[in-house]
Amino acid sequence: MEAKHAKTREFLFELKVSDVMKTDPFTAHPEQSMTEFRRLLRDRRISGTPVVEDGKVIGMITIADLIPFLTSGEQDCPVREKMTADPECLFTDQLLIHAIRQFDESGFGRYPVVERGSGELRGILTKGIIIEGMLKKMERALKEEEIRQYRASHIFEDISAEYKEIYLTYDIVGKDFELAGRASTQMKRNLKRLGIRPDIIHRLAIASYEAEMNTVIYTNGGIMEYRIAPEEVTLIVRDTGPGIEDIEKVMKPGYSTAADWVRELGFGAGMGIPNIKKCADRMELESSPGQGTTLKVWIYTGNENEAQ
Amino acid sequence: MTLREALAEVSAQILCGEDEELDSPVQTAAAGDLMSDILARLGTPDVLLTGLTTNQMIRTCAVSGIRSVLVVRDKPVDESIVELAREEDIVLAVTKLSLFAASGRLYVRGMRSGTSGD
Repeated sequence: MEAKHAKTREFLFELKVSDVMKTDPFTAHPEQSMTEFRRLLRDRRISGTPVVEDGKVIGMITIADLIPFLTSGEQDCPVREKMTADPECLFTDQLLIHAIRQFDESGFGRYPVVERGSGELRGILTKGIIIEGMLKKMERALKEEEIRQYRASHIFEDISAEYKEIYLTYDIVGKDFELAGRASTQMKRNLKRLGIRPDIIHRLAIASYEAEMNTVIYTNGGIMEYRIAPEEVTLIVRDTGPGIEDIEKVMKPGYSTAADWVRELGFGAGMGIPNIKKCADRMELESSPGQGTTLKVWIYTGNENEAQ
Repeated sequence: MTLREALAEVSAQILCGEDEELDSPVQTAAAGDLMSDILARLGTPDVLLTGLTTNQMIRTCAVSGIRSVLVVRDKPVDESIVELAREEDIVLAVTKLSLFAASGRLYVRGMRSGTSGD
């Protein structure tokens, strides 16, 4: 039970204002009349809006400003005269948990949400929107959690041995563009099931996919091996030829020997090997023309897999 | 703006996609036909606009975690590609607009580049 609470709390701390805010909120213009504003509230069933001039939030006007205006029976006037000028705003990248504290401290019912820097209005946040947004996000997280229940993320803890490693291999068929990329997308799912951290999966999947595409495009086929140990994942891609003429050149971004038909498919821009290197913690590339190529990629997962 | 609203903005026809995905908010987009470029530089935008309709385009998105793809210029999309997108839980839609026009319309509606440095 406690672990579950920790999960919920962790989840809450990850949410940003932009994750739950309502986008494209209704707005009022400062020169709009109070009567028009009243109609906006009634028709849209809302109780307040930001006042926007030239894309910037210059005020907030709510039902709390409208009621005294109506009861006093005074003459119609522009929204500018009744609004709260220069209101406090929230930022899209602000943590939701901080925003909630701000609601608590100020007692305000709603905040405009603006982009940091440009100050452009991006959305609106009320307590109701927070609750609705959080429930939606939680429902989604819960679904993911259920999937996690039956996945293999505890395998390294459940099994004891001096040395633990999961070994998975795929045959890569050369020049077959129908299948190209399937090993890497399948592997991405496998890694998820094994509870590897999402950012590490992302790097692994990209390195693996680039390597797989290289094998499909330039060779007659090969084998991809994944060795998954508790603290690192190693990817080894071997092919039987034709090998790389100049290893230093393929390490340079933009160098490519790809044929036109490869480029038409969106590959062969000379980004493959540099991109793999960028994703890897360590990379080795061995090749001799006529003999084939072996690529080894190490990514350290540390101790911070999701299962722990 | 939700993904559904964004797609309506470019009069796109939705080929596959769950309601849950279509009703979630989108803020960032990127455009490109170079798969390596998408993998190396674009990060994970909410929507990818592209002129490519190969199965590698779907797999590239699956690998980089991109959850929706808008094909421009009304390029024909093979049923097998739609099937692959469905398997990978990727929303796939197609618009008659050009890459430039579709990007522009989404930009006007407040969507921004998902690429850092833009």
